[in-house]
Amino acid sequence: MDFSANHIGFVIASYALSVVFLASLVITTLGRDRKLRAEAERLDTQRKKARA
Amino acid sequence: MQFLANPTRFLRIANAVLPYVWAITVALFAVGLYGALVTAPPDYQQGETVRIMYVHVPAAWMALFVYTVMALASAVAAIFRHPLADVAAKTAAPIGAVFCFLSLATGSLWGKPMWGAWWVWDARLTSMFVLMLLYIGYMAIWAAIEEPHRAAMVARVVALVGFINIPIVKFSVDWWNSLHQPASVFRMGGPTIAGPMLWPLLVMGLAYALLFLALHLTAMRAEIAARKIRQIQIAEIGDR
Repeated sequence: MDFSANHIGFVIASYALSVVFLASLVITTLGRDRKLRAEAERLDTQRKKARA
Repeated sequence: MQFLANPTRFLRIANAVLPYVWAITVALFAVGLYGALVTAPPDYQQGETVRIMYVHVPAAWMALFVYTVMALASAVAAIFRHPLADVAAKTAAPIGAVFCFLSLATGSLWGKPMWGAWWVWDARLTSMFVLMLLYIGYMAIWAAIEEPHRAAMVARVVALVGFINIPIVKFSVDWWNSLHQPASVFRMGGPTIAGPMLWPLLVMGLAYALLFLALHLTAMRAEIAARKIRQIQIAEIGDR
C-alpha cells in the first residue's frame, strides 16, 4: 500500500472506523456474556443453598 | 432445528464450538487483511481508494445477511414457537446494526473522493439507510416494551415486514438508475473482479461471517443467562 497516494486518509479512516466499532462490539458482547453468566451462576448457587 | 430448541443442548454445543470459531475468525482476518492491504494491487482508476472495498463490501453483505437471519428466526418463532428463535433474532440485531452502520460510513468515506459527495439519495444508499432505521426500530421495541412476550410479538412483526427491504437493497442497482455500481461478485455470469482483488474480498467476507457467528453465539448465551436471572428473581419474589 502506498501511504503517499491521493486520498489515503479516507482509506485509513475506513479501516480505523471498522477496527474501533468491531473491537468495541466484541468487547461489549464478551463482557456482557461474562457478567451475566457469573450473575446467573451466583444466584443459582444462592438459591440452592437457601433451599438446602 | 428442533434439536437446538433445548437451551441446555444449545449451550453445550455453543460452549464446545465457540473457541474454534473465534480462532478461525482471527486467522481469516489476518489472511484477509494481508491480502487487502499488502498483496492486492491498486485499481487503475480508483488507485489506493479501492482498498476501502475490503471493509465496506463485507459489512454491507453482513448487514443484509443478519437481517435475513432475524426475519427467519422471527418466522420460526411465530410458526413453530421455537424457544430460542426470539433469542436468536433479538441478539442478532445489534450486531447487524453495527455492520449496517459500518457499510454506510465506509461507503461515505469512499464516496467523497470518488463521487465528490459524502452522500447521495440514490436507490442503493437510501434503501441501506432504511435498513439502518429498521435495525434501530427493532432494537427500540425490545428496549421499550418491558414484558418480554409482548416485545417478542411486536418485534417479530417488524422483522418480518421489514424483510421486504432486503430484495429492494439487493436489486436497487438493477431496478433504478443508480450512482452505485452494480453487483460484481454475486451475479449471473460470475464475478467481474480480477483474481488478485477477488480473493482478499472473499476471505474478508468469510471473516466477517464467522465474526458474526462467534458474536451471535456469545450474545445468545448471554441472553439465555439474562433470562435465567429474571426467572430466579421472579421465583424469589414468589417465595416471599
